[in-house]
Amino acid sequence: MEDLAQAAIDAALKTGASFADVRIENSTTTIIELNDGITRQSMASRLRGAGIRAFVDGAWAFAQTTNLTREGLKETAESVAKLAMATRNKVDERFSIDGPVYEDKVELNVRRPFESVTIDEKMQFVQLIDNQAREFDPRIVSTRTIYGELTSELYIANSIGTRVYLQNAIPRIISVPTAKDGPNRQRIQQSISLRSGFEEMETEAAQNIGVTAAKLAIALLSSKAAEGGMYDVVLDPALNGVVTHEAFGHATEADNWISHSTVLEDKINKKVGPEYLSISDDPTLDGKRGSTEYDWEGTKTKKRHLVKDGILTDLLHSLETSSRLGLEPNGAARSQSFMHVPQPRMSNTFMEPKDWEVDELIEDTKQGILLCSFNYGYTQSAKGQFMFQASYGYVIENGERGTMVRDVSLAGNILDILTRIDAIGKDFELEAGTCGKDGQSVPTMTGGPHARIRQVPVGGM
Amino acid sequence: MAEKLGASQAEAYVGQSHAFSIEAENSAIRNAEETVDAGIGIRAVIDKKIGFAFVTTLSDDDVREAVEKSVILSRASIPDPDFVSLPSGDDSYQPVNGLYDKEIAALSSEEIADMIIRVIDSSRQVLEGRSYAISAGVQSSFGVNAVVNSLGISCSESRTSLFLSSSPVVKSEDDQTTSYDFQLTRDLSEANPEHVGESGAERTLSLLGPRIIEGGEMPVVFAPLGAATVIGRGFAGAVYAEEVQKGRSYVSDAFGDTIASEHLEIVDDALLPSGLGSRTFDAEGYPSQKTLIIEKGVLKGLLHNSYTANKDKVPNTGNASRPSYSGLPSISTSNFIIKPGSGTLDDLVSEIDRGVVCRNTADRPNMTTGDLSAMLYEGFYIERGEIKHPLKNTLIGINMRDLLKRVTRVGSDTRTTLAMITPSFVIENATVTSG
Repeated sequence: MEDLAQAAIDAALKTGASFADVRIENSTTTIIELNDGITRQSMASRLRGAGIRAFVDGAWAFAQTTNLTREGLKETAESVAKLAMATRNKVDERFSIDGPVYEDKVELNVRRPFESVTIDEKMQFVQLIDNQAREFDPRIVSTRTIYGELTSELYIANSIGTRVYLQNAIPRIISVPTAKDGPNRQRIQQSISLRSGFEEMETEAAQNIGVTAAKLAIALLSSKAAEGGMYDVVLDPALNGVVTHEAFGHATEADNWISHSTVLEDKINKKVGPEYLSISDDPTLDGKRGSTEYDWEGTKTKKRHLVKDGILTDLLHSLETSSRLGLEPNGAARSQSFMHVPQPRMSNTFMEPKDWEVDELIEDTKQGILLCSFNYGYTQSAKGQFMFQASYGYVIENGERGTMVRDVSLAGNILDILTRIDAIGKDFELEAGTCGKDGQSVPTMTGGPHARIRQVPVGGM
Repeated sequence: MAEKLGASQAEAYVGQSHAFSIEAENSAIRNAEETVDAGIGIRAVIDKKIGFAFVTTLSDDDVREAVEKSVILSRASIPDPDFVSLPSGDDSYQPVNGLYDKEIAALSSEEIADMIIRVIDSSRQVLEGRSYAISAGVQSSFGVNAVVNSLGISCSESRTSLFLSSSPVVKSEDDQTTSYDFQLTRDLSEANPEHVGESGAERTLSLLGPRIIEGGEMPVVFAPLGAATVIGRGFAGAVYAEEVQKGRSYVSDAFGDTIASEHLEIVDDALLPSGLGSRTFDAEGYPSQKTLIIEKGVLKGLLHNSYTANKDKVPNTGNASRPSYSGLPSISTSNFIIKPGSGTLDDLVSEIDRGVVCRNTADRPNMTTGDLSAMLYEGFYIERGEIKHPLKNTLIGINMRDLLKRVTRVGSDTRTTLAMITPSFVIENATVTSG
């Protein structure tokens, strides 16, 4: 692999590129999905190929190849470099790419590698979860259970001298039961995913996720649609994570500074929230879904203090953004696969816990709404506008948790919402997620403690 | 080979594509990308048990590995009593015109670079004198797919498309906003970089200075992009037969019932000439057709692939879809079309005393309950028949079953979007929350 990468880099430089990098990936995935006890899909795949980038003056070019021979890589590298050379006259800003050099080979040690577990054992696990959800209550009318695993090897090399070999392994179990009572139908999704071997699917939580999900789906049958209006909102850790990720994390991706498309552009080292608010993105956490020792450009990762004590402190960098903005690289460039260009992305993103007991927080909220878990969310960094949807929640009346409500949406503006956070819990949880940006999906985790935001518009039916 | 290994039926799906794109950021070109993708997906069937494997190469060794894996997975699967058979071929293929344009396939990197500069320059002209940064992109794609199965299906088709987009960010003294416009076409002579550039800029300017309003029940005008999200994603997914069969759709028990207002007529037409979703055969190689979904408000049809059609013992509508070679067939629309009525967006707005326009949203309903809570990420306030100002932090809430029934008027300003082909339409009322 080392030789192949070197051949590609040499070819790109010889053609005229000032910087070039190569990612060679060999990944396998297995997906087993059951619907109502029978197989919906049993799927295996292999992704094998190389992505090559060439850079000159201010022009990037990218291409990939699945022809992993010396000739194949050399040819692709030459063609990429030519493309960059052809575009260089049309760029406005000239700059160069620089960064630290790393040489490392990181092996991931897991207790039960996926290949050591038989397909039958995996199938039995999925069956167990699917059955337990269906058997939980006669009102569970449909079940859907998905097990997925990803094993990948990645070799990254660039013309500065970085040579990094990485391994990754991520299992995931998802349970999606549908409950029905008369015309009322409710569906909920619960999932567990970490960076590990099959052992994380053997924990009590993973082995019982079908019951957890079914219990929620049944509870949702007696929920009501929320009434729209302005509320004091208490977020649970899962939803807090999504708010933090959507409402803030995306706007700190440093490519937004290059394209002038974030409302945070003038806010570096300035106050963006109350002094008790800290938000971090940390790919160095052990065994988390968004964790990695090096990013997809081969830069060593470190914890990013996006907001420290209310001040916007770190951004999420690729080598381009750190080079152009003159800031420290921090290893935030990620790609979905060798077929994609690395971009500044989040990893495990969360609000740092503070001092409120969760019970006190709810008691202290006289009239409001507790919102839990999430269906989805998105943001437009350039406008600062975001939206996210909780799976369910509870009306808070006189400091007590009341009626269950469902599908509650919140909308707001980044700069506005952070200032309205007035109480942060001491608990902490991270949930599995997948983050999409420009057509690329990467595994992430999001979370934090319970937290309260004053007066937020909540959509209702 | 799969049959040799013990499969009773087998299918191979080959997808190959070649795309070239150039992106501009901060009003200048910065990235060129060439994507060459080719792979194969193998479906093996043994006694109602199905296994699937794919590889991102077409090398002999990798393909062999995929075939072996698909057979192993099929053996390990739990039999599906509702599976009858892969589809078999017949002679009813109707070729669709206008899917392949050799001029798009032949575009050079210089020509594409020239097009993106025209997009940027057109946006610039509209934004002159302001503080702005334009992101833009042009992509040409060529793709060919082939489906072969052990029951005699063997077909392939080539398609080309061209995508142009402009997305400026504009800053004013106390505000910063963005919008975009795009064009996706299969015909190079239709490409209009100037229009995309101007419109992207005009759409952005129209969003400056957003305000909140007093909420309440009021009419909502869905302009084509908003309509396409709400109907093209939020309703289309509810008529996928698999969702209905599994009881996961909010129209699960409504086949043959009046579910929408009499103004609404929807078809799925895979044979539309030059249509973005058009194809001669679906992702299982089954012949394409035109399927009536809603007629005079009555739910007339669902979208099927071979599995769901066999399960319900009804004709296959040829709506199998898959993400190229990398997945099993599911179901999706081809060209999902709302039949136009009359009137422009301005005409529809002029008839409203107090309401909002949903020009765009990214939200979709809960497909099981139909509850929709959508942020108007591009929305406007209407007072006395006129657009007063853009909106911020504003949500609309309505159940999809009510939304369909409350359509009072359908316009004629039809537009092709990624999700569907639709004009603007008006619903009588929804709950608006703003703050």
